[in-house]
Amino acid sequence: MASTSIKKKRRGLSLTKKRALAGWLFVLPFVIGILFIYGPILLDSLMYSFSTTQTINGRVVLTFAGFDNYVSIFNPSNPDKSFPVTLLDSTQDLILQIPAIVIFALFMAIILNQKMAGRTVFRAIFFLPVILCTGIIDSIDAQSAMLEAAGNVSGVIDTGAGEDTGIMSVMDLQSLLGNIKVGAGLVEYVVGLVNDIFDIVSRSGVQMLIFLSGLQSISPSIYESCQIEGASAWETFWKITLPMISPMILVNFIYTVIDAFTSADNRMMSFIGGNTSYFTRSEMAAMYWIYMLVVLAMIALVAVLMKAFVFYQRRD
Amino acid sequence: MDTTPKVKRESKNKIRVEFDRAPLWERIKAKFFSTFFLKKVVYVIFRFVLLIGVSYVILFPYITKIFNSFMTASDFKDVTVVLLSKAPTFDQYKYIITENGYLGALLNSFLLSFTTALIQTFICALVAYGLAKFKFRGNNIVFILVIVTLMVPIDAIQYQMQQYFNDLDKTAFTENFLEKINESLGFMNSYIPMYMLSITGLGFRNGLFIFMLRQFFKGVPDELEESAYVDGSSTMRTFFSIILPISIPMLVTVFIFSFAWQWTDDFYVTTFFDAIYLTKNGWPNIARIAKSVPPSLALATRNLPQYSSAITGTATILIALPLIIAYIFLQDKIVQGVERSGIVG
Repeated sequence: MASTSIKKKRRGLSLTKKRALAGWLFVLPFVIGILFIYGPILLDSLMYSFSTTQTINGRVVLTFAGFDNYVSIFNPSNPDKSFPVTLLDSTQDLILQIPAIVIFALFMAIILNQKMAGRTVFRAIFFLPVILCTGIIDSIDAQSAMLEAAGNVSGVIDTGAGEDTGIMSVMDLQSLLGNIKVGAGLVEYVVGLVNDIFDIVSRSGVQMLIFLSGLQSISPSIYESCQIEGASAWETFWKITLPMISPMILVNFIYTVIDAFTSADNRMMSFIGGNTSYFTRSEMAAMYWIYMLVVLAMIALVAVLMKAFVFYQRRD
Repeated sequence: MDTTPKVKRESKNKIRVEFDRAPLWERIKAKFFSTFFLKKVVYVIFRFVLLIGVSYVILFPYITKIFNSFMTASDFKDVTVVLLSKAPTFDQYKYIITENGYLGALLNSFLLSFTTALIQTFICALVAYGLAKFKFRGNNIVFILVIVTLMVPIDAIQYQMQQYFNDLDKTAFTENFLEKINESLGFMNSYIPMYMLSITGLGFRNGLFIFMLRQFFKGVPDELEESAYVDGSSTMRTFFSIILPISIPMLVTVFIFSFAWQWTDDFYVTTFFDAIYLTKNGWPNIARIAKSVPPSLALATRNLPQYSSAITGTATILIALPLIIAYIFLQDKIVQGVERSGIVG
């Protein structure tokens, strides 16, 4: 009697197995997508990078070519269209820009988190780029900015002095920093950031949102006890806010790396996308794969570097 | 100075306390001439200037676009015109709306964006919930795959994606399927590929949505579901009638992002539609109105690149207008949704 009842119990799945099955059921749409749509597409791209293409009767036929494409993109015949040089420049650009975006987002999130008149309005304005600076609107803006820049450059040549329509004269800043002798590299960096200010502001919307959510989750009682103990705002920031928000800094760094590296208007992406007639499909696929490895390496680098600084508050 | 308060009994239950207060001037001096107050004032001014400055940087391109949208061709030839047009007209708006088919595009893009955003929000919530709350072998692998879809630049696989859906058109299974739903012309130039990508959680930045929702669901206490299970609720029912209702702020945020990014999308439209952004049923996409100068204005833009760029800017305003209107009403929800998500690494 007892043995049959045990058998009956065993007939169904155990609870853990049931839960595991339910879990699979929830992620099933994505898994199907990966197996039948995304996986094949990604694999196809990888195959392209290892083959030469030929069009026979309107169909593309791939012939295995080993690492030929990879070798050819690293030995460019035309120095103006050199993949390794662009890759290096673009990566350097982004490495300089990414910390600026994250720090700006943190700074702005802290200010937007304070109580003040008109906070809702400022928040609305600051998050506007999240909605608007994407896709078609972004690409049109980039085009018109290029047109304007071209116009400004010719204006500079015409008048000699240059009509300044910007917020701050870059020339002034350059001479100011030059005068206090902080080193040419730093001057160039700061001037570059001021030039890209719109880019930085419009790219930090999501990061600001993530930081705001992090700041909201810090318990006010910690700040209160700090105040009672006599800590200054400066100390509170370094000892409380920064450690408490460090997981968000990691998330934001990774998000910014992904966002900046995969955006269609960074130097590398526009280099590959803009030379579709110069490179073959296989070479383009090879370039994209190398680039993806670089992005992966960057993410790994950020994760490793940040790991030492991230502080997790254990719950319970 | 004696500062002990004087207590005077006025009636049985009422007392009157009188302080010897310092003179007004002393009090004002103590309040407003301290370094603490000075620091605070300087900080508030600094903060205000900074916020105004950054807001200006963000809004400046839109402000110039709005001013330019009322200009005529002659305003661009006139060097004295800076922002305000000398003879403001609605011509740019008028011709873009009538000749570039704005209203039709509005309706179409709304339908597409709304349906895909709805599907994407739901599917991402489903996948995110599975990843956040269930331990199963391969959970981490699926999560890594989510991050991979986010990490691969979409432009990198654009050509292969196009090929994939092109080839899919030619299989017998697809032909059978298409016959059933009366689509004789195939997947390309239709919304089907976009729906397929949305249903499988592979749409634009869906990896980010899954990540955000996963973090949110991780913050939902397990006790909530356990009590539902104890009461005999199934996993699916718990998800639909307990988890989804409490995550509405977050879902609204994801929906807004998804809708806005699909609305301004330029990538999938170029991948799956031909260059003129029309589906085979003749449905235009909103991105189309910015791609050409209306014929009535074409003559005036000749040799006047500023004017044609102003027209494109006007088209941008028209594309952004519905989003901005929706944003004004919903921006509280976006901030709320993310604030409550408690995204912690």
